[in-house]
Amino acid sequence: MQTWTAASLPAADNVNPYAFCVDLQGEWFLRKGAMIAHYGSIRFEAVTTFTSARAWLAGRFSSPVYVQDWVVAEGAGKLLLADRGFDVNSYDLDEGNLTVRAHNLLGFAPTLELKQSIVPGFLTLLGTGTFLASSNGPVVFVEPPFRADPEALLGWADCPSPAVHHDHAWMAANMAGMLQGAMGRASGEERQYDFTGAGTVLLQSSEVVREDPALLQLVEQQTHGLTDAQAGQLGRRLVARAQQQ
Amino acid sequence: MAQLTADGKVLVVDLAGDAVRAVTGSMVAYEGAVEFAGAGMGGGDGFRAALKRKAGGESLSLMECRGTGRVHLALAARHVVVVDLAGETLQVESEALLAVTSGLRLDVRFAGLGGAAAGQGVATTTVSGDGQVAVLSDGPMIALEVAPGEPLVVDPDAFVASSGAVSTTLVSGVSWRSLVGEGSGEPFSMRFDGSGLVLLQPAER
Amino acid sequence: MGFEVVNSKVVRADVSPDRAVLARRGAMLGYSGDVVFRPVHGQGRGVGGAVGAALSRESVPMMATTGSGQVLYGFRGLHVTALDLDGRAPLFVEADRLLAHDADLQTSVQLIASGGVRGALRGAASGQGLFTTQVSGVGAVALLSHGGTFALEVGPGEVVGVDPQAYVGHVGALSVDLRARAGWRDAVGRGSGEAFQLHVTGSGTVYVQASEQKL
Repeated sequence: MQTWTAASLPAADNVNPYAFCVDLQGEWFLRKGAMIAHYGSIRFEAVTTFTSARAWLAGRFSSPVYVQDWVVAEGAGKLLLADRGFDVNSYDLDEGNLTVRAHNLLGFAPTLELKQSIVPGFLTLLGTGTFLASSNGPVVFVEPPFRADPEALLGWADCPSPAVHHDHAWMAANMAGMLQGAMGRASGEERQYDFTGAGTVLLQSSEVVREDPALLQLVEQQTHGLTDAQAGQLGRRLVARAQQQ
Repeated sequence: MAQLTADGKVLVVDLAGDAVRAVTGSMVAYEGAVEFAGAGMGGGDGFRAALKRKAGGESLSLMECRGTGRVHLALAARHVVVVDLAGETLQVESEALLAVTSGLRLDVRFAGLGGAAAGQGVATTTVSGDGQVAVLSDGPMIALEVAPGEPLVVDPDAFVASSGAVSTTLVSGVSWRSLVGEGSGEPFSMRFDGSGLVLLQPAER
Repeated sequence: MGFEVVNSKVVRADVSPDRAVLARRGAMLGYSGDVVFRPVHGQGRGVGGAVGAALSRESVPMMATTGSGQVLYGFRGLHVTALDLDGRAPLFVEADRLLAHDADLQTSVQLIASGGVRGALRGAASGQGLFTTQVSGVGAVALLSHGGTFALEVGPGEVVGVDPQAYVGHVGALSVDLRARAGWRDAVGRGSGEAFQLHVTGSGTVYVQASEQKL
């Protein structure tokens, strides 16, 4: 096991497949929670606070839905980034565009511009610069034509945004099971994102569902309107679903 | 003398007639003659309370493996690293401790922002003496040096262990940690000054 | 032909009119070409018939992949191990851990613990994985595990104990029994109820997961 010092850490490279080091000299956009350690003097401030003072910086980040999850790291020093033990990779865009799943984008240089993709849950990066994205397992690159399981889709570059393909044959074959009242989660074969054109599609080995305690609270609050009998019914269905794992 | 060998995500323990203490539940397989029993921390009262994790109130419990055979230990597919101690001390996040050879002493400290009762902070186990310690990390371990004039700031959820003459300061109210759902309690960071070594994992707990 | 290992969590299969693949539902990450997916109900015939299937919590929903194209398989970031069976000995694998296999292979549900149905009932109630899928024939198999698997060779006169939740599968002339033993609760960490170990003897290979978590 190698011991790193502030000087020996790489300026822009992986330390191992799950951690990346950036030599910060200025500013970088980072997702909250991405930083695991740093040397030197670095300040972190929520993107939303950059209003009048440096509006040009905030202007690079155009996604109202996700902005509260992001900060600007400012200062100088070696910055170590990681994400839930996922594989982390850096990508260099050269007057390019790449769309990536929002929860997998870790950080990017402010020379890039970020916008919300038309596909829900995805963000598009434009311009020239470096960004970091995590993936569940190493990234698999494929070329269109290709159909991807929505959960396994990590992103795509250069080719047009995908269309949704519904597998009617699958759903017809499944009808028998559904009519018998077999409730449960969709297994993922019902629909895929369909890619055509020239470009690259990025895949991961499925999105691991991350527990969100806030979501649990929100959903529970919404059940107050149910009668006791309905609450019991819902409870039984949720237990059955949990046991399907 | 029992021997610990790290093999990726598995710790291989050759007991050789000796005993080792390991986290209860970490055994995945064994070969030959091995006996299992509950084990104590080797410390006084109050340690179990101090060990309770902030979120679930679970306590770290240990078992003893004794015999002439070989035991394979693993925990949640985390990576294993073996640290050799020769009279030194290692501070380990209690959740990251997997196994220790006999002859090592375990003590628990709870460094909290509002004290142990507030439930925030870091539960550290101090391992000292002569022997081997097996430490876990979510993803391969990263070792960072702390040197005079080069202090290191660390996300507490990524902190695994530290050794050497370092002073640890807990700094509260940092904005780079999300407040909802990430980790628990008040967002804070750990700052290391002095001369020593810090072990990190590339993930948050 | 086998499954092509793309990385530790993904395999690729060439599907053709000569070669269909059976896979766990939800395992398809993406595909190219003219490939059709159909849900398959039930999982082989096997021991005990309806009783076996009902007792077994191992009825993992499967799907058949036919047509002509390439399919990528993976499941929730779990480790994938690709094996080629040469037909000499069947592979026993915990059914939750079967990711995909050549449709030509024969599969059936098997009880691997001694003690008959009564023992199985006791075991099923305690939640230990007694039911395995036996895979025989010549073809390719892809297995899942949390953290990867390692192999332990078992020789005559030797004993290997395995945490049932870490058991992935085995090959060879092995006797795998479920036994209770003192101290086991500490070893495998199950706080309540009876705790069982898999007691393995004979001559063969046991595959163990590098994690105590059941899939």
